[in-house]
Amino acid sequence: MPAIFSRSIDTTIRQAGLAAGLAVTLFVLGFYYYVQPSYTRVGYQPEQPVPFSHQIHAGQLGMDCRYCHQNVENSPHATVPTSQTCMNCHNPEKANVKGASPLLSLVRESYRSGKPVEWKKIHKIPEYAYFNHSVHVARGVGCVSCHGQINEMKVVYEEKALSMGWCLHCHYNAEVHLRPREEVTNMLYKSTSDSEGADLKQKLGINPPNNCGGCHR
Amino acid sequence: MSSTAETAHGSGHSGETLPRIQWVEPIQQDFHKISQTISSITEKAQPDWWWPAFLMSATILLSGVMSAVYLISTGVGVWGSNIPVGWAFDITNFVFWIGIGHAGTLISAILFLFRQKWRTSINRFSEAMTIFAVICAGVYPGIHVGRFWYAWFMFPLPNANWIFQNFRSALLWDLFAVSTYFTISLLFWYTGLVPDLATLRDRATNKYRKTVFGVLSFGWRGSTRHWRHYEIAYLILAGFSTPLVLSVHSVVSFDFATSIIPGWHTTIFPPYFVAGAIFGGFGMVLQCMIPVRAMYPGIRHIVTERHMDVMAKFILATGTLVGYAYAMEFFIAWYGGDVNEIQTFIDRATGNYWWAYWIMVSCNLFIPQLYWMKSWRTTPWKSFIIVTFVNIGMWYERFVIIVQSLHKDLLPGSWGNFYPSYVDWIQMFGDFGLFFTLTLLFIRFLPMIAMSEVKGVLPFSHPHGDHSPQPPATPKVLVPADELVLKAEGGKGVNWGIVAEFNTPAEIRHAAETLRDAGYKSLDAYTPYPVHGMVRAIGMTRSPVPWITICGSITGLSTAIIMQFGLMTWWYPTIVQGKLYRAWEAFIPICFELTVLISGIFTVLGLIGLCGLPRLFHPLDQYRRMSASTDNGFFLTVEAKDPMYNEAKTTAKLQELGGYNIAVVEA
Repeated sequence: MPAIFSRSIDTTIRQAGLAAGLAVTLFVLGFYYYVQPSYTRVGYQPEQPVPFSHQIHAGQLGMDCRYCHQNVENSPHATVPTSQTCMNCHNPEKANVKGASPLLSLVRESYRSGKPVEWKKIHKIPEYAYFNHSVHVARGVGCVSCHGQINEMKVVYEEKALSMGWCLHCHYNAEVHLRPREEVTNMLYKSTSDSEGADLKQKLGINPPNNCGGCHR
Repeated sequence: MSSTAETAHGSGHSGETLPRIQWVEPIQQDFHKISQTISSITEKAQPDWWWPAFLMSATILLSGVMSAVYLISTGVGVWGSNIPVGWAFDITNFVFWIGIGHAGTLISAILFLFRQKWRTSINRFSEAMTIFAVICAGVYPGIHVGRFWYAWFMFPLPNANWIFQNFRSALLWDLFAVSTYFTISLLFWYTGLVPDLATLRDRATNKYRKTVFGVLSFGWRGSTRHWRHYEIAYLILAGFSTPLVLSVHSVVSFDFATSIIPGWHTTIFPPYFVAGAIFGGFGMVLQCMIPVRAMYPGIRHIVTERHMDVMAKFILATGTLVGYAYAMEFFIAWYGGDVNEIQTFIDRATGNYWWAYWIMVSCNLFIPQLYWMKSWRTTPWKSFIIVTFVNIGMWYERFVIIVQSLHKDLLPGSWGNFYPSYVDWIQMFGDFGLFFTLTLLFIRFLPMIAMSEVKGVLPFSHPHGDHSPQPPATPKVLVPADELVLKAEGGKGVNWGIVAEFNTPAEIRHAAETLRDAGYKSLDAYTPYPVHGMVRAIGMTRSPVPWITICGSITGLSTAIIMQFGLMTWWYPTIVQGKLYRAWEAFIPICFELTVLISGIFTVLGLIGLCGLPRLFHPLDQYRRMSASTDNGFFLTVEAKDPMYNEAKTTAKLQELGGYNIAVVEA
């Protein structure tokens, strides 16, 4: 029987096997890093139709979150403000702050026509998960806990993963993110003592749901 | 078979003699004829019926694929499953196919441990059946959610959801049980296949077949140093598969038994399901084996009527066990006094699905009783009729258990019937198409009978000295000395060693023992099957494979324990059904399955590693007669690194011991 394969084939096979093993390992490691929401979602920063800067409004000017996101305290939705809200200041016929700025033309257009500006939604939660802003605000979870340092963002981006595991992390350890009710919108709040969150949790009897039905109703 | 064919078998150690039952008819008493009969099926053009049969089953398979595409693109509403019968054809077919697989594992594993040598003629075929059946079963969990791209949810992977599959759920036990079963069956099947793939490689005449089988057989040449590990590894795999046979269908039955649906919530389910699975599995093996045997007359001498007879007895025994379980379910329903249970069982025999129940009882209990008569066991067409009913009956058994129990559960408000849609039917037939397509491809391309194992149970295959029958005198193939060695390119210019051919297993063992006793160390023998006593004859001891296996067992068990406790109580703490974190009882099934899985994988990797495979090139490939080592040749080699090695003296010694075609091979 003449040999079917050449003398060097076994070395080649072993090297190829080693390379394949290495490639698979790299693929698996890469997969776990790159497909998690902590990679795929964090940093999502779409260009908005109007270059609205939270840094100026919430940071420099110190406007309260609730001035624009009016329903955050009593509705599941924080609500994106209408053009009328913007026009309280930017209306050329009233306060006339930057009333003629071409950057605001879309807002003025929307104010005139009644059609909302098509803002791009950044912080998305799947439809099968029920989330209520008012509950979290009422219990003293700061805006900053989920949305990050909005007051420093010229263009808003997603800072947290907003994955189910990320939600549960706080539901298991709520004390880390609790603050007095009146400090919820304070983006620069520092807790007064180490035990503040735990005290609040005990005082208010906060017991975040950890069962499936808590969010998947 | 006449009693004269049964020959006395001297055990060789204690002197007592046992009758040695001859399972292969005398006409086949030749190693080469066995290779020839079985291999030629895959080498010659197929008989006329093959293409029509293949095209037909492939078409049915295609319709199944299309109905799956329709299901996935449209949604699960295209099936008839709905409340209250939320599980219907999908799970019926899943359990049906998983059950079919059990005969293969029983034959290959349990009968191997019990030294039932008749298994060698049918084990390859039934193991293939097992693998194909599990593939058919796996189709349903894959597609039944409709959104099959979420199928990975079934696998315990790290994720961003901070929630993990519930290891206390019977459905997750099932995932582990079925995937372990599939993996171990596949490893077992392939391990058995390797020596036969080598036979096909060595018989191949064109380059394409040589390369394909050369790669698939990893460079197996029948070396005794390899057989040494192989035999132990095979035994260990058989040992692992044995509890698997019992565990898999037990776990499948837990899918039902751990729920509270009347008709499901019973402790008889595990043994009842296992008996039913073996019953249905043997039914399907015979269902396929009888036509194959009719189509390929050559194998009738290897798969004899005695094999059919024994399988029929298994069907009779397990069918009666299943019948006992049917009766016992009614007894317990009455004796237990639970009104829902009583209601369900009265409904089972007399309600909307009475016809399904009585088809099941007739096919599984009454009709197989014909097997009490020998003519029904050994006449192929009669047996074929019975096993057809057996397969129908076993399908109906699952249908009755699932659909009938669900359609009238605890809440009268939700009672209702199940009506299969046409997609249900096409999907089901498509699964049969998949099974028969794979089976037809298998008998076309792979040896359907384990050649090396059949050779190993021939009456003269064990070199027990004078007691053993001698093989028929086969003429020696003598090759002129100058044509014995064909040089492969790139040689190192040094000699690898000497190789000599021997005519019988007894001669080669004697020669090896003589050389060993003379002080030779680097001996090896290349034989078509593991010759009894050859490992000691070349001066080696028991294989260390079991140590690798036990490392695998420890790894598997500790992985299972750390994984389940860690994930369920520490990394992803989840309370399900109000059970305590430390409630460990429900972790046992996965501990078992993972131990078996990792042990099996370690065993096979250990086998490959200890044998130094794959070894596609070997200096002996230059030896012209080497291709007979996987057919009917017995070769003894002495390597040049042996301190006693002396070309002239060693050659003379080998010649003196009966060796011929002696050649020196270059490294």
